[in-house]
Amino acid sequence: MDILTLNGITKYYGRICALNNVSFSVPEGSVFGILGPNGSGKTTMLGIVMDILRPSAGTFSFMGAPPTAAMRRRIGTLLETPNFYHYLSAERNLRIAAEIKGKGFEQIPSVLQKVNLYNRKDSKFSTYSLGMKQRLAIASCLLGDPDVLVFDEPTNGLDPVGIAEIRELIKNLATEGKTIIMASHLLDEVEKVCTHVAILKTGNLITAGHVDEVLVNEDIVELGAADMPSLENILQSLNGYKEIKKQKERLQLFFVAGTANLEMINTHCFKNGVVLNHLQLKKKSLETKFLELTNK
Amino acid sequence: MLQLLKIEWLKVKNYRTFWILSALYLFSIWGANYIAYIIQNKIYHDQKTGDVANMFLGGPPYAFPKVWAMTSCLSSYLLFIAGLMMIISVTNEFSFKTHRQNIIDGVTRTQFIITKLVCGVIVAVVSTIVVFITAMIFGFANDNSFSFENMQYVLYFFLQALSYCWLAVFVSLLFKRSGISIGVFFLYAVVLENVLYQILNHYFGEPARLLPIQASDELLPLPFLEKLKEELSPAEVNTTLQLGFVIGYLVLYFFISKRKFETDDL
Repeated sequence: MDILTLNGITKYYGRICALNNVSFSVPEGSVFGILGPNGSGKTTMLGIVMDILRPSAGTFSFMGAPPTAAMRRRIGTLLETPNFYHYLSAERNLRIAAEIKGKGFEQIPSVLQKVNLYNRKDSKFSTYSLGMKQRLAIASCLLGDPDVLVFDEPTNGLDPVGIAEIRELIKNLATEGKTIIMASHLLDEVEKVCTHVAILKTGNLITAGHVDEVLVNEDIVELGAADMPSLENILQSLNGYKEIKKQKERLQLFFVAGTANLEMINTHCFKNGVVLNHLQLKKKSLETKFLELTNK
Repeated sequence: MLQLLKIEWLKVKNYRTFWILSALYLFSIWGANYIAYIIQNKIYHDQKTGDVANMFLGGPPYAFPKVWAMTSCLSSYLLFIAGLMMIISVTNEFSFKTHRQNIIDGVTRTQFIITKLVCGVIVAVVSTIVVFITAMIFGFANDNSFSFENMQYVLYFFLQALSYCWLAVFVSLLFKRSGISIGVFFLYAVVLENVLYQILNHYFGEPARLLPIQASDELLPLPFLEKLKEELSPAEVNTTLQLGFVIGYLVLYFFISKRKFETDDL
C-alpha cells in the first residue's frame, strides 16, 4: 500500500510557480528521499502535505484516505526548522507535542535519550545550539513511535558525529519497518539511506522511483599513456564500454556499473604495444548524476 | 476543547512574561480605582469641595450603585494590556513558528484559532471578575448600602474586554510580527480611532459612536460626568443600538479571524 500519494500538486506564490503538477507515490516501508537544489520546492511540498500551506491545485492522500489532523498525529514530522517555545525547557516543549499527539508523557525521557539530549532536558530551548535544536526536533518526531516519519533536512546544523548518529537512527528506524520521507539537498545522505528517490527542480518533478533505477551509476575508467593517439586507436578494438571521452591528458571509458575490469583493459593495451602510465577506476558519484539530471 | 485548553495551559504555565504581566495588570485594575477612590475621598470629605462636587457631579462615584459604572469605566482604560497579552500569545506562535508545529503535530487549523479566541474569552472573564471584586471592595469601603442596581455596567465591561481581546487576535493574525501588531493596536485604540471619531462626528454626527471601540466605550460613561453631559450633549446614548454593534463587531472578529487562519499559508 502507498503511504502518501500526490496527485497533480501545484503551488503558486503570487506569480511564482513553486510546484508544477507534481505527482508520485511513497510506498510503505520505503526510505523515500526527495532531492532537489535549494528552492526546488521540497519544503513547499511537505508543507502542503502537512496542511500548513494551501495547494493552488491538486490533491493528496494518506494511506488511500483524504488527509486529516488525526492522521498527522500518527506521523512524526520535522519541517524546515525546529519549532519550539523558546522560553520552555526541552522536556516541557515535548510535553506540548505529546499532548497534541494524544500521547502520554512517559515516552519523553526515552526519546530524549535516543538523541543524546537527556542530560540537557531541563535547559531552555533558547540556550540550545543549532545542532541540539535539530536533535530535539527529531526527538519530538519520535514521540508516540509513529509508523511514518517526515524529515526535512534532518542533519541541518549537525556536526559530523551528529550527522552519523542521525543517519544511524534513520537506518534503524527503516529496519524497524517504518516509512521515512526525507527531503535533502545533501546527496551523500540520500545515497546512504534511501531506497526510493524523487528529484525536483524548480518545482518540476524530474523523476521518481527506486533509487537503483533513478540513479543508475556508471563505472568510469581513466587511462593515460605517453603515446595518447595510439592509446585511443587501440581502444577502438576493446569491447564492453559504452562511451569514450577525451580529456586533456587522459581518456575516460564509461562502463555499466560493476562491469569494468581493469586487468583486462591493462592486458589489452599491453598486448597492443601501449604501456599505460595511468589506470584508475572511478565510481560515478551521485553528485555528478544529480547535476546531470538537474541541469538538463 | 478541554484538551486544547490544557495545551494552551502548558504553553503559559512556565512563561514568566505572561504571569508578571497578568499580575501587574490585575493589580493595576485595583490600583487605578484605588487612586480615584482616594481622590474622591479627599474631595468629598472636605466641606467646601464636597459641596461643589455634590452640586455638579452628584454623590460620590464609589458609592453603590454608582460604583459598578465607575469601576467598569475606569478599569476599561487598562484593557489595552489585556489586548497586549493576546497579541503576545498569538505573535509568539508566529515568531517561534509553533503555530505550524501545532498543526503538523495534529491540531486542526480551526481548533488552533478557536482555542486562541477562547483564551480571549478567559482573559475577558478574569478581568471582569477582578473588576467585580474591586467594585465590591470600594463600594463597601464607601458605605454599606449594597445594591445590584446598575450591575449591567459590569456586563458591558466584559463585552468591551472581549472586544479588545478579539480585536488584538485579529490584528496579530493580520500583521504576524509582535512589534507592528502592538504598535498598530495601541495607536488605533488610543489615538487613531479617536481621530476618526472626531472627523466622523463632525461630518455625520451620531454614527461616529458606532466605531469598533467607540461602540463599547459609549456603554461605559464616567458616572460623575453624566450630570454635566446631560447639559452639554442632549443626545441620549441608544444602549440597544450600541450593544447590537458591539456584538456585531465581536461576531465579525470571530469569523474573519477564523476564516483567515483557516485559509492562509501559515
